[in-house]
Amino acid sequence: MTTTDKPTQENTLGSPSPDEPGAQTLTLSVGPQHSGSGHMRLIVELDGDIILNAQPDPGYVHRGIEKIIELRNIIRSIPVIERPSIIDASNLNHAWVRAIEELQGVEPPARGQYLRCLLNEMNRIMSHLYWLSIYGVFLGHTTMFMWPLGDRELFIDLAESLTGARITYSYLVPGGVRRDLPQGFAEEAIKRTEYFEKRLDEYENIFFKNPLFTSRAKGVGVLSRQKAIELGTTGPTLRGSGVDADLRKDEPYAAYGELDFKVHTRPDGDSYSRVMVHVDEMRESSQLIRQILKKLPSGPVRRKAPIVVPRGEAYGRVESARGECSFYMIGEGGDKPYRARYITGSYRNMAAISAVLEGVRLADMPTSWWSIDYWPVEADR
Amino acid sequence: MNLSHEREDYLIKILKENFPNDIKDATAIRRSRINVTVAPEKIVDVALFLRDKLAFDHPTGVSAVDYNRESRFEIVYHLSSATNPDQRDILINLKESVPRNSPKATSLVKIWPGVENFERESIEMFGLQFEGHPRPEKLFLNDNWDGPPPMRKEVRFPTD
Amino acid sequence: MSAQKPVQSDDPIELLADSLNVWVGKLSDIVHKVIDTEPIRNVINWARMYSLWPVNITTACCSAEFGAASGARHDLERFGVLPYGSLRQSDLIVIEGTITKKMAKRLRMIYDQMAIPRYVIAMGDCAISGGLFHDSYSIVNGAHEFLPVDVYVPGCPPRPEALEHGIIMLQEKIRSSKVYPQS
Repeated sequence: MTTTDKPTQENTLGSPSPDEPGAQTLTLSVGPQHSGSGHMRLIVELDGDIILNAQPDPGYVHRGIEKIIELRNIIRSIPVIERPSIIDASNLNHAWVRAIEELQGVEPPARGQYLRCLLNEMNRIMSHLYWLSIYGVFLGHTTMFMWPLGDRELFIDLAESLTGARITYSYLVPGGVRRDLPQGFAEEAIKRTEYFEKRLDEYENIFFKNPLFTSRAKGVGVLSRQKAIELGTTGPTLRGSGVDADLRKDEPYAAYGELDFKVHTRPDGDSYSRVMVHVDEMRESSQLIRQILKKLPSGPVRRKAPIVVPRGEAYGRVESARGECSFYMIGEGGDKPYRARYITGSYRNMAAISAVLEGVRLADMPTSWWSIDYWPVEADR
Repeated sequence: MNLSHEREDYLIKILKENFPNDIKDATAIRRSRINVTVAPEKIVDVALFLRDKLAFDHPTGVSAVDYNRESRFEIVYHLSSATNPDQRDILINLKESVPRNSPKATSLVKIWPGVENFERESIEMFGLQFEGHPRPEKLFLNDNWDGPPPMRKEVRFPTD
Repeated sequence: MSAQKPVQSDDPIELLADSLNVWVGKLSDIVHKVIDTEPIRNVINWARMYSLWPVNITTACCSAEFGAASGARHDLERFGVLPYGSLRQSDLIVIEGTITKKMAKRLRMIYDQMAIPRYVIAMGDCAISGGLFHDSYSIVNGAHEFLPVDVYVPGCPPRPEALEHGIIMLQEKIRSSKVYPQS
């Protein structure tokens, strides 16, 4: 962390004159090399140790993906559109194939739809666990760093046996999924989800009830319901402010219409609410995995789909781990989209960073802004 | 799951009744997706109507599209509703076209604060100008970026 | 030495300091040679090998696998790799993925601020040659364009095991290196 004075003031340290506006504030530049910032920079204006204003400075991972996918065909683009959030690759992939299928009018077979949901839910758990472990680091709670990452490997193994890759699957293709379940997957998955739910109770005891966490999260970084809606936030951030919006329920895609699950919300809008929404969602997803495996229909997993983007426009959106991920796709009839606008959950939640950090103490800054589940790579694209 | 287009037709009817001259086109392209094209000078009125009367309270994004063959940019506001649970799946694409040689549009930050970052991105990626935007600075690109706006169609890659 | 100076100083203290400098220089040469002999060098290299602290800088998405590698199953700390916040106490930059033009400037700044010896691991295809994004307008095609890289770890993203292998390779490199790099 480096400190810089505001350029307008000259004698902050020497002889501050309290009458001058801004004379007693200090501007900090946090990141990108900082353990509490990730791949981004936050420009924080402080009065004492209270944050007056915090502006995110993203773009350290901006790779021009929207331009790249205009120049590659829709299958070659799949690995590229997964990269913004490789810890949540399946959901991003789903938004992409949903937009293409909407244009092509291709409906995948039922088993393919269920397998998509299966990987999506596993990915949601993995993504939330990764996020939780970083949250533990930000609080200086090393156990909470190690445990979720260890339990994440349970699902990584499952996903690897299903798709052949640890975290970047490219499993969903237009028309279905790449391959069927391997032998013995269902038994192993049921065993692991049951174990995982027990582990969540242990997390509860060591972390979620721990005053180390509650005292720094309850009532800190409040985002009101009204503000959350008008800033356009999405996903757990929005649900942590008491809005029960979840695309899986509101616009049931893939097999979600036939599955039974709850949308979890918390009314308070503070860091604690947002964290607990994530935890409830992990339980729900774990339950969903078992449900999907029970209801899994038989049949083919994939239907033939052409490598072509028909003329027209489509808006494919899914509920990813960090909120709504969407593609606004304009096709011209070639094998590449004319324009594919890529809007991710983190990009939308970026607007909430300054709203959440206002009035928070500097010491609580990492835990408050990380509770938004803002993944800079996903926001920058 | 209801497959009829009743809600979409109803929304289109209301919009056409209230803005008979300003809405150039309003169609339901498929279930729960509505395209509304308006004249750039009237977009603020239509946006206010959508927000206050029809509860489209937040943007899910803003896209800019470069139609270089037609010599225009299209700015698309994707609008959705969180307060009204019955129309959460409905997405309105509010479109306006600006000419390519003077790409000036009115910023809608005052109506939906959430569009700020999206409009900032359109400014740097397409070279658009939004009047009334509070922070028309670079968002993702390097501060000393000196090339042309990279998302324009005439900007090609070396391997292209 | 002092005779070649254009202005000869009469100050005895300055003269003494000048001649001392020469002596200190010669002495340090001798000390360097002694330290670089086999037994002492082995001890120093052994200490360097097992305390590779990487800087807390994440450039792109390979950080997810770096996180997994530091986590419970793979636990990089058993190789002495502990991500650390302070640049001055760190010895290693693990470049985790794509380097954008915006980040490259900061990365070089961070490298310049680190104390010698410092090592660089380029992790992931993007950090090696641009990878999937090689034709993008906003990235640098490979870390070698602005930093000296010690070990390349290919993969997109590399598995944690690959990163472990890269770290072991770096340790082997340190084991056989000289204590003072030839400058």
